[in-house]
Amino acid sequence: MTTSYQTIGQPVSRAEGPDKVTGAALYTADLNLPGLLAGKCLRSPYPHARIKSIDASAARRLPGVRAVLTGQDIPENLVGRMLRDFPMLAKDVVRFVGQKVAAVAADDLDIAQHALNLIEVDYEELPAVFDPVEALEAYAPVLHPNFMKYAGRADDPQEHPNAMARATWGIGNVAEGFAQADYIFEHTFRTPHQHQGYIEPHAVIAQVDGQGRLQMWVNCKTPFLLRRQLSEGIGLPQDRIRINPINIGGDFGGKGSFMDSHVAYWLSKATGRPVRMVMNYIEELMAANPRHPAVMTFKTGVKRDGTITARHARLIFDSGAYGAFRPQKGITYGIGAIGPYRMEHSQIDSYLVYTNKVPCGNMRAPGAPQSTFASECQIDLIARELGMDPYQFRLHNLVRDGEESPLGHHWRNFMGKPTLDAAVREAGYQAPKMTPPDLAADGGDWKVGRGIAVCERHVGAGSSTAKISVDGQGQVTLYTPLQDTGAGFYTMLRQVVSEELGVPYNEVSLVPWSTDDARFDSGVGGSRVTHVGGQAVYGAARAVRAKLAALAADLYGWPESQVVFKESMVAAAGHQAVSLGALAARSGGLVEGDFTYDSERDEDLTCFTAQVAEVAVDRETGQVKVLNFTTAQDVGTVLNPQAHQGQIDGGVMQGLGYALLEELKHEDGRISTLTFGEYKMPTIADIPPLRTVLVQSQSGGPSPYGGKAIGEQPISAVAPAIANAVLDAVGASVTQLPITAERVLQALRSQPA
Amino acid sequence: MNQPIHLRINGADYHLEVPTNRLLVDCLRYDVGLTGTKEGCSVGVCGACTVLINGQMAASCITLAVAADGAEITTIEGLAQDGRLHPVQQAFIDYGGFQCGICTPGQIMAAKALLDVNPNPTEQEVREWMMGNLCRCTGYYKILESVVNALKPGQGAKA
Repeated sequence: MTTSYQTIGQPVSRAEGPDKVTGAALYTADLNLPGLLAGKCLRSPYPHARIKSIDASAARRLPGVRAVLTGQDIPENLVGRMLRDFPMLAKDVVRFVGQKVAAVAADDLDIAQHALNLIEVDYEELPAVFDPVEALEAYAPVLHPNFMKYAGRADDPQEHPNAMARATWGIGNVAEGFAQADYIFEHTFRTPHQHQGYIEPHAVIAQVDGQGRLQMWVNCKTPFLLRRQLSEGIGLPQDRIRINPINIGGDFGGKGSFMDSHVAYWLSKATGRPVRMVMNYIEELMAANPRHPAVMTFKTGVKRDGTITARHARLIFDSGAYGAFRPQKGITYGIGAIGPYRMEHSQIDSYLVYTNKVPCGNMRAPGAPQSTFASECQIDLIARELGMDPYQFRLHNLVRDGEESPLGHHWRNFMGKPTLDAAVREAGYQAPKMTPPDLAADGGDWKVGRGIAVCERHVGAGSSTAKISVDGQGQVTLYTPLQDTGAGFYTMLRQVVSEELGVPYNEVSLVPWSTDDARFDSGVGGSRVTHVGGQAVYGAARAVRAKLAALAADLYGWPESQVVFKESMVAAAGHQAVSLGALAARSGGLVEGDFTYDSERDEDLTCFTAQVAEVAVDRETGQVKVLNFTTAQDVGTVLNPQAHQGQIDGGVMQGLGYALLEELKHEDGRISTLTFGEYKMPTIADIPPLRTVLVQSQSGGPSPYGGKAIGEQPISAVAPAIANAVLDAVGASVTQLPITAERVLQALRSQPA
Repeated sequence: MNQPIHLRINGADYHLEVPTNRLLVDCLRYDVGLTGTKEGCSVGVCGACTVLINGQMAASCITLAVAADGAEITTIEGLAQDGRLHPVQQAFIDYGGFQCGICTPGQIMAAKALLDVNPNPTEQEVREWMMGNLCRCTGYYKILESVVNALKPGQGAKA
């Protein structure tokens, strides 16, 4: 892509690269403090039980143990990102396997582990419920009898005591729409827990300093929100809590929850020493905050010509034992469930339900991969029933620019058709299907198929702030409250500064702020940062630029509007240029500019994704091989092509794992896939050839220079594209993820002969 | 029970007393202070803790420190020489072979072990060799490019 910019849109590599390839970049678990203790928690072995008694006396006597805490030793405050339903340590009841019941701080981890083994907990098992559909039955055990007293809950009355939230969206009247249909289809789909799979587990260091102030280092991407959640749990005012900047080793939505933060504080307070708590990966897979499983029933009415008359989606999201790891009030999951299709009648009923399983949280495009799987698979099932090609069926129903979406939005410059067409063209969707010679030679009964899926997703919004300073040596420094999750914005933000101040992007120094240094920041997530963080930095850069231009006008009599910033020099036509540093030096100090950007989500703007999977399926074994994958993304200005493509690559592969491999398996509430040996994520051997098409949207987006968003956009359509390709290849409809060989075989065998 | 061991790490000698159950990853990170080696899965599957022991790739999270007694160990901190990045490190920057960076030290050590024996690997050879190094950010595409191109003539000219 060519632009008129100096660094924006140019293929620049990471400014933070040298630190990350040499091992110099520091992450939470890397930090050491004098007197640091190791903290560890004892976890419940039962999915639902009453705690009758805890005897920690033997653990307390163990040499090297500095503190043992149970629910009796700390306040009963419930904590949460929005809904506050989670005890910091369970006191009376445990509601999932892995819930924390006691915590130890010791001289080292071995002693801490030993101490945990010495704690005796007497439990009385209670009836449990694991299936979210069953949890809504009248006979289901009520998991949170005090729900209506919880802070941060949805305002509506509960439909069932285990339904923590319910929402309905739509237009028209679906009964009327179904009455107009020639055919009505109903299918139910299921999706499993997906773990975010960041390689760095949750980690926190808490230190109560000499003034009683909490200093914290934690791999949390929303430190300002965490500060509030801590304050609510531990009772310190927010200004007595400082969360310090640190690199985050992967996020994908999973690093916004508090995990051990409160407990680490109590251990530090009890011992007077800093305490480090690092979850091991067994704890991660047992008790972090994975993507919600869902059970989704879609009912769709169509006319003979393929026109959709109405769609009704009933979505049940399994929250697990608590709702504390979701940042929104009520439920927002499934709002895009109907798909970007034209219809006069639509209804989505979305539920968030308690069960006795691991509490779920946000993961990349939360709610969307689940409902897109269901929605887009059903589109193909319907198209085939009608004898229409799924591409033609989609084209027939796809919202066009200027038309109303099924939730009543009028998306500006909607790129649905051009993006879908681009994916289909690039993928060779209509070309003959040939079994690759190596597979044919391999034996088996391989058939090739292609499948399409589409989705759309907003550009994120929120609040961020930035400061930029220029010193007398010309050093430009950018200050940001955003913590580096790895997506590449520490380079992108430097590029914005570079573009506005005419200095090389990799000479811009970036200083991450602690929570003491800014008023607020929404943090990383929700496809927000290029827009929100980008605009904050852009605003700060423009403020500095204006000050420097005014200074030049003042000092040299240059016309202020004609001052240009290029190659670390400041110039005006017909005048001798001066270096940025020399100009700043004349100000008598640093030249600084700051800017705070606040935005609400623009519901009339969306980013469209269309994907085509080509698979081969062995009819004998059910094995699925992805031969090729094509993704077309509707984009505005791409600020950093390498990082942008990195989001696409990573999002597609995370979607591929969701489609084919990943599942936290449960047996009576116990997760049995407790290592990366059993919880299988894609490896480098699994990656199919990937083609990417960027379809430029003319109006662009709200990010600086007209950028849109890319972090969450590539993931949701991957699983249905693969499922639809399997359907195309062998006629097997797999309605439950992941699409394992067993499920394909089962679907093949249940076909009418 | 403690046992004295001698490790030669990145060319420097370390005489340490470690408990016999001390894992090499903890020894490197916390006894020696070389935190560039990361711990991910703790069961030898994810590859984040990859180091070279006598030139051979090893998972330091399932290796006892005492079992490495007398060995020559190379960690990520030992690759750059005199402030110059090793070509594999430079390739990971040039081709965008990392994002969050947590798996990167392990990826780079695994790649170096491959390139030491095969300076011009094919994509297929890289896929087979690097299967034990998980990455959740990149989808591996740019890691593959980084490793395949690391020792190609003119490497570094890209971008």
